Amino acid sequence: MLRKIFTIMMAVLLSSTVLFGQAKKPTIMIVPSDNWCLTNGYMQVFDNEGKVTKVPDYKKALQENSDLLLVISKINELMADRGFPLKNLESSLKTLEANAAEDAMLMSKEGGELNESPIDKLKKVAKADIWMQLTWTVNTTGPKKSITFNLQGLDAYTDKQVAGASGTGTPSFTAELPVLLQEAVLSHLDNFNVQLQNHFDDMFANGREVILRIMTWDTWDYDLETDEFGDDELGFLLEDWIADNTVNNRFSTTDATQNMMLFEQVRIPLYYERNGSQRAMDTRRWANGLMKYLKDNFEIESKLMMKGLGQAQLVLGGK
Amino acid sequence: MNRLSILLIICAIFSFGTISAQKGQKKADNETNEWRYEVEVVGVGKQGTSQVKVWTYSENPETATNQAQKNAVHAIIFKGFPGTGGQQALARNPNIEQEKQEFFKEFFKDGGTFQKYVFLANNGVIGPGDRISMGKKEFKIGVVVSVNVAGLRKNLEQAGIIKGLSSGF
Repeated sequence: MLRKIFTIMMAVLLSSTVLFGQAKKPTIMIVPSDNWCLTNGYMQVFDNEGKVTKVPDYKKALQENSDLLLVISKINELMADRGFPLKNLESSLKTLEANAAEDAMLMSKEGGELNESPIDKLKKVAKADIWMQLTWTVNTTGPKKSITFNLQGLDAYTDKQVAGASGTGTPSFTAELPVLLQEAVLSHLDNFNVQLQNHFDDMFANGREVILRIMTWDTWDYDLETDEFGDDELGFLLEDWIADNTVNNRFSTTDATQNMMLFEQVRIPLYYERNGSQRAMDTRRWANGLMKYLKDNFEIESKLMMKGLGQAQLVLGGK
Repeated sequence: MNRLSILLIICAIFSFGTISAQKGQKKADNETNEWRYEVEVVGVGKQGTSQVKVWTYSENPETATNQAQKNAVHAIIFKGFPGTGGQQALARNPNIEQEKQEFFKEFFKDGGTFQKYVFLANNGVIGPGDRISMGKKEFKIGVVVSVNVAGLRKNLEQAGIIKGLSSGF
């Protein structure tokens, strides 16, 4: 009897996994905008081959500006309450530093060090799928103060603004800046979330919008205009595969030369089936299908690289 | 006039009052369903709450005060609060009221669940400029109420009326 109950329970659990596979959840992180960092003096200036370049110094901003910390903490708190906890910028920066220190000291028993290519080093930055970019300015009219608040949700891969909320609060004679900031967060975050929810709804209905870059190694004997692989040039064969493997064949070819192709607004499905169950799909897994297609049909070797949930790069002509 | 007649007259007066109040309430409910109310944001309340002024049309200030609470919850679910510090409607499907008719009938009945998420500010005292005569038998009455939007949203999410931000992930 017990075995029967156990079998039934397992069957129910398995079937619910098959029916209700969960999509990969995007990570969101709040960062102060470049504009805010520049206005408040949190920029690092360096000489980039003769050109003066300014980049935001998030660490300094978080260490020195309590108002920024308050706003980030308030938004984190409210988002966690909505069942969508965010990645914390300060913790991410600390983890990166700690990992870098540990990696530098790590050694195998045989005295070997960790493998790290220049590209691995470049990729060691705080990452998120959606950036919540924050800007505020304090407006002063005589003794009155008000806050103009701007929150932008930016997709890290498509560079599209997927959500936003902005506005100026009611001027106040007495309220202090932290109080005005809290009020601004409380009055804008719900509207921001409505737009974010619309973005997610669109994703569930039409697939995840991602970017695919195709490149070629200069050691490769062919290029994307080669027509030896089928009834058309390789570039068009690639387009055909993408059309067949996107939701409603939706994608745009933004750029195409003999050496590279850029596909934008590529709508990939959220799930794929494996061993009878639905699993969440990301761009790497999806582009892996293209990599296999090229190898199986045309014996083209390629190297697949990823950037978060929404961008993949495939370099043809070798690993 | 004997005692029985006096008793009958008193009973008639009371029952007339009750019928009239019921009629007023029914009229107010119909007007809520027909979206005949106005809402403006007064301020951001404590975390998760919004303070709004609801303008309700009624012959009776008492009915207007009670109905203001229902109208405020109705507004944030279906219409949103306009203006600075305003909010968009919790339900993003414009047909949700018809699709989930049974749920909302129960939710908005007198003493229904909606009451858990709204309360009168200043004990429902109507400000001096918030009682506007609209004709012989009607007033437009402004009442300030606080709506627990966060709690209301959670209730609707749990009931499957609206989707949560992380649903599907």
